[in-house]
Amino acid sequence: MSAYLELQAIRKQFGHTNVLNQINLQIREGELVTLLGPSGCGKSTLLRCIAGLADIDDGKIILDNKDIVNVPPRSREIGMVFQSYGLFPNMTVSENIQYGMKMRGASKEERRKRSEELLAMIDMEEKRGAYPQQLSGGQQQRVALARSLAVQPKVLLLDEPLSALDAKIRKSLRTEIREIQKRFQMTTIFVTHDQEEAFILSDRVCLMNKGSIVQEGSPEELYTRPKTEFVARFMGSYNVLTKPEALRLFGQVDSQAERFAVRPESVALLGGDDRQTALNEGKQIIDGSIESVSILGSIIRYAVNAADVKLTIDTLNDGRPLRQAGGGGISLALDRSQLLPLEKEGA
Amino acid sequence: MIGKAKKAGWVNRTLMVALMFYLLLPLLATLIYAFAKEWQATILPERWTLEWFSEMFGDARFMDALWTSLYLCAISVALSLAIMLPAVFIITVYLPKWETFMKGVVVLPYAVPGVVAAVGLIRTYSTGPVPIAGTAYILIGAYFIVILPYMYQGIRNSLLTVSAVELLNSAELLGASRMRAFANVVLPNIWPGVIISTLLSFSVLFGEFVLTNMLVGGHIHTIQIYLYQRLGESGHLASAIVISYFVFILALSLILMKLTQKMNRGIQG
Repeated sequence: MSAYLELQAIRKQFGHTNVLNQINLQIREGELVTLLGPSGCGKSTLLRCIAGLADIDDGKIILDNKDIVNVPPRSREIGMVFQSYGLFPNMTVSENIQYGMKMRGASKEERRKRSEELLAMIDMEEKRGAYPQQLSGGQQQRVALARSLAVQPKVLLLDEPLSALDAKIRKSLRTEIREIQKRFQMTTIFVTHDQEEAFILSDRVCLMNKGSIVQEGSPEELYTRPKTEFVARFMGSYNVLTKPEALRLFGQVDSQAERFAVRPESVALLGGDDRQTALNEGKQIIDGSIESVSILGSIIRYAVNAADVKLTIDTLNDGRPLRQAGGGGISLALDRSQLLPLEKEGA
Repeated sequence: MIGKAKKAGWVNRTLMVALMFYLLLPLLATLIYAFAKEWQATILPERWTLEWFSEMFGDARFMDALWTSLYLCAISVALSLAIMLPAVFIITVYLPKWETFMKGVVVLPYAVPGVVAAVGLIRTYSTGPVPIAGTAYILIGAYFIVILPYMYQGIRNSLLTVSAVELLNSAELLGASRMRAFANVVLPNIWPGVIISTLLSFSVLFGEFVLTNMLVGGHIHTIQIYLYQRLGESGHLASAIVISYFVFILALSLILMKLTQKMNRGIQG
C-alpha cells in the first residue's frame, strides 16, 4: 500500500497525560478513513494535529512524500470542516466559498466560476448572496464543505461535521458527503463518535481509545472480528462473556482467552420445529427465559437469561409472533464458531 | 387564575409607575427649574425663560469645560481601545490560561473605592520619578483603569460570541496569514461589540466625578467640575447644565441601545 498521508509514531501530551500515544496510520489517496471513538479518546486532537492547529510532541506527518510537521496550517494544503461550521458571518455564501481562492491569489473570474460549480454541486445556487445566519444548519455545513473543497486541498478533514444536525438531515448529508468524496477522489479523514455513521461512510475505520488506535480495518472486519472487549462493546450490543459464563453456555471452549464476545444476532431463539434442525447443524442448545422485549423497528431485541448469563439477542422483525417476557421457558441455539475470543485490553 | 393574573398585572403596573415617578421626579423638577423665570408660591413657574440655557451656552467656560471633558474621555477611551483590543484578542485566542488572572485583574477597579484610588495615586505621583499629579496624564491613566473592566469584558464577550478561535482556524486553513485572518474575519465580526464597549466606557467616564475632582479638580475644568462649581452660584443655571448633561448622556445611551439591538439581531439571524 502506498500511503499518501502517513502518520508515524505521533505523540502528544497535555501536562502528564498522553493525549496521543504512538499513533501510526497510513491512508491511500482517495480513501475515506474514519476515526471512531468515545469523546475524549483523542480523535479530534489527532485531526487538529494533522491540520496544524495543534502541535505534536513527537512523530512525523508525511503528506505526499513531504514531512509537514513544521509547515504552518495555511501552507499544508489541508481542508477542514468543523462541527460548528466556522463560516464567516460577515461574508455571503459565495464570498465564503471564494475566500480561500482569494487568499491564494486566484483571479476574480476563476473564483466566480469555481464557486458557481461548487454551489451547483451542493445545490445552493439560489443562496449565493445569503449570509450564514440566514441558512439552516445543514445548508451551513454544505457551504463549509464547498468552501474547503474550493481550494482543492490534498486532504479533507471532517471533525464531527454532522453532530450538530438533526437525524434526518444527518442521514442525507452523510450520503452527500460520501458521493462528493468519491467524485473528487478526495483523501478524507472523518471523525465521529457514531458507529453507524462510521460504518456507512468509510472505506476503513480506526477505532480509538485513550489516545491509541485499538483496532483498524474495514467496517465488516471491525464488526465481525472485534479484538478486545472495548471494541466489542463499542460496536453495539455485543454480548461480552467471562470464561466461566462461556463455559456454562457453550459446554466447552477451545481458547485460552479470558473474555469472549457473541454477536446478538448469532444466537437463535428456537421455535417448536427448529430444535432438530439446530441439533443437526451441530449447534449448542440451552434453555432460558425472556426478561424483556424491545422493538427497534426492523429488529426485535430480547434480553434473555440462560444458565445465569444475561444475553442480548436480536432477531429480524419478520412477522413471526413476538415472544413475551416472562412467558415461560424458551430454547436458544448457540453456534460455537460464533464465540469470539477477545485479547486482553492493551495487549 | 385569569383574575389573579390580572390583579398581579395591575399591582405590578402601579408599582412600576410609582417607582418611575419616584426616580424621575427630581429630574422633572430640575427640568422645570431650568426653564423657570420666577417660581415661588405656585406649583408650576409663573413665567418661563430660556435665559439660563443662553447664559450657559454663552459662557465660554462651559464650552471649554465640555470640550475638555470630551477630549480627555476620547483620548482615554482611544488609548484603552488601542491597548486592550490586541491584548484581549491575544489572551482569549492564544493564551487562554491567562484568563483567570485577567478576570481577577479587571475586577480590581471595582474593589478599590474611587477616593482610596485617588489618594493613592496622588501620593504616588506627586513626587518621585513621574511627578504627574494634577496633570491630564494622571487623569487619563486613572480613566484607563476605570474603564478596564468594561473594555475587557466587552471585547472578550464579542470574541467568544463570534467563536473567534474557530473563525481564525478556518481562515488560516484556507490560506490566510494570522494578521490577514484577524483583519478579514475577526475584526468585522467583533466590531459592533467593540463599539458598544467603547461608547459605554465613554459615557461612564463622562459621568465620573470622584476621581476627576480629587485628581485634577483645581487644575483642569471638566464638565463635571464646572457643574460642581456653578452649583452654588445659581440653581437655575446649574439645572440647565444638569439637563444638558443628562440629555447628552441619554443620547449616548440611546445610541448604545440601538447598536446592541442591531448586534443581537445580527447574531440571532
